[in-house]
Amino acid sequence: MRGFAAFFRKELRETAHTWRLFVLPGFLLFSALSAPLITYFTPLLVDRLGSAQEGFSIQVPEPTALAAYVEYLGNLGELTMFALVIAYGSIVSGELRSGTGALTLAKPLSRGAFVLCKWLSQALVTAVAAVAASALCVAVTAALLGPGPAWRLVGAVAVWAAYAALMLAVMVLLSVLLPAPAAAAGAGMGVYAGLVVLAQFAATSRATPAGLMGAAVALLRGEPAQWAQPVSTALLATALCLAAAVWRFSRREI
Amino acid sequence: MPAETLIIAASPASPLVWALLALLIAGELGLLAWALLDLARRPKEAVTGGTKILWLALCLLAQIVGPVLYLTLGRVRPAAMSAERGAPGGDQAAGEAGAVGAAAGAEGFAGEGRAAEGFAGNGRAAAAVAAMYPEPGGAASAPAVELVAVAKRFGNAAALDGLTLTVPEGSVFGFLGPNGAGKTTTLRILAGLAHADAGAVRVLGRHVGAPGADVRARIGYLPDVPAFYKWMTAAEYLRFAGSLFGLRGPALEARVEALLELAGLAGVETRVGGYSRGMRQRLGVAQALVNAPRLLLLDEPTSALDPLGRREVLDMVAALRGRTTVFFSTHILADVERVCDTAAIIDKGRVVTQASVAELRRRRGGLHRLLVEVDDPWRLEAELQSLPWLRGFDLAPDGGLRLSVDDLEAAQRAIPALVSSLGLALRRLQSDEPSLEDVFVGLLEAEQA
Repeated sequence: MRGFAAFFRKELRETAHTWRLFVLPGFLLFSALSAPLITYFTPLLVDRLGSAQEGFSIQVPEPTALAAYVEYLGNLGELTMFALVIAYGSIVSGELRSGTGALTLAKPLSRGAFVLCKWLSQALVTAVAAVAASALCVAVTAALLGPGPAWRLVGAVAVWAAYAALMLAVMVLLSVLLPAPAAAAGAGMGVYAGLVVLAQFAATSRATPAGLMGAAVALLRGEPAQWAQPVSTALLATALCLAAAVWRFSRREI
Repeated sequence: MPAETLIIAASPASPLVWALLALLIAGELGLLAWALLDLARRPKEAVTGGTKILWLALCLLAQIVGPVLYLTLGRVRPAAMSAERGAPGGDQAAGEAGAVGAAAGAEGFAGEGRAAEGFAGNGRAAAAVAAMYPEPGGAASAPAVELVAVAKRFGNAAALDGLTLTVPEGSVFGFLGPNGAGKTTTLRILAGLAHADAGAVRVLGRHVGAPGADVRARIGYLPDVPAFYKWMTAAEYLRFAGSLFGLRGPALEARVEALLELAGLAGVETRVGGYSRGMRQRLGVAQALVNAPRLLLLDEPTSALDPLGRREVLDMVAALRGRTTVFFSTHILADVERVCDTAAIIDKGRVVTQASVAELRRRRGGLHRLLVEVDDPWRLEAELQSLPWLRGFDLAPDGGLRLSVDDLEAAQRAIPALVSSLGLALRRLQSDEPSLEDVFVGLLEAEQA
């Protein structure tokens, strides 16, 4: 694809030079740091609360490394996804609105390369940030709660990465379809909510991307996990979203 | 044995196998779709090793291998195509950039203070740009731009309504019209950013918007309000723009240096977000030239520039005459008079007229006008009546005589002799030709009537 490498480099440099660097990686690192801390301090806080009121008692399980990992994974599946949806509502439309897209697309950069670079660069940034955040989580957890099942966390985060890749592709598509970033973010939240609802049904949870987070948690807990079909369908849906985005963007006026 | 094999293969207890299978199928279909889409969009001259039909058959019959072979071996890179045709874009442009850079290097670089001055002065800007191109000469081939009955609507409003015009290759073409006439829409269509609803659009001999056709590698485009990535410096943006055209390494660096010098931005380390409008406009002109385009599309290029910057842009445009085709829209009629060979005036999405600038002026009545100022205009007036080339005259408010003549040369020879024979003092004898503004206003008034 024409201009792919040049535009990809520009996207990565742009991430490093603008607010984008702090949003998604920031959320990931925050989650990595906060999850073991919250897990560690929650029993202490609850104990203090209980002792302050006579006759009031709450039984909190002993904090473990696994609990910290589960908390971290929960953050990835919720807070980080919200951040992703909001941050990337203008991933394509922002360039068109500002006028930079017109100047770039009047050069021999294909529309397909433009869209795919957007997705690929941010997927790479997200993946690198997820690796760094997970390493941080493992380190902080080990320091506070002792070593945990780190390899199971790696597997769970890998499943989450498929989820993030899909949501990123959804946002690329929505940003192509909807010029207003708020509208794209709203629609993205709708897709997220739809996946959460579908996850409540056994059939859709087993066979669609809706089951990704459930499978990730099961993997982390060491339980039997049905991750293959959700991952496969998520990758397929990602490809379809990107293909639709390229198709639509190739036909739209700049 | 076959029964056992089937049982194992169909076992539901192998999700990994299913996942890998799904991935493989998705990958294969994606590869096939990519290859087929590319093949459909690509002009036949950009496909190597056979015809498009053969590649299509190979892609469909040889799964995975066919698409991979086509995508790796079957496509001609745009830069290579440009070089084949002798176009100054792509790799050829990269080769030429060295000379430009050397010229710029010999001139030395200016400091930060130059940014306020505008384009590099004393004709160096024009020379630097002209050096990017081969010497002018040779017969012009196909028109650089052909628009035939082009229509474009935005809702109920017709932006272009059967626009037809031809721009000769190598010319400097002025595109005039009032606000809302359709100038920017035309330029966006030519740049491939918008599509015509009807009509034919050909740029450098190729259809714009047809599947596979891509002329963007050979054009340079400056929109009316250029927007850049604010976090980049001018040099970074020019490097980025050049790399989109396939320029790289020392050739790219040399061209970036030359264009920074041209734009008066050499040595400026400020990020584009801190630039004035004039600086952004100059950077816009520079980025439009980064590929040494065969067709330069400029939308109001001088609108944000100070007089010095405007003069430098016009000098640069004039220096490109015969080397490349310049198509620029403007409201400033004086700019068109100064640098254009040909101009088109459009209104309400249609061409009102298209002709050489000299011809446009002539169309204003077909007569020439002369302004004569002597110490006694009444005596001269009495003698003028019998002259064969005189078609009329009146007294100007400043006391001079405004003559309408059909033979300008005869009048310019006869009047001084006549004035002398009458013993009068000749204070002024000057041509009072109609300006392009007169033509512009006259034609638009006629059109609206």
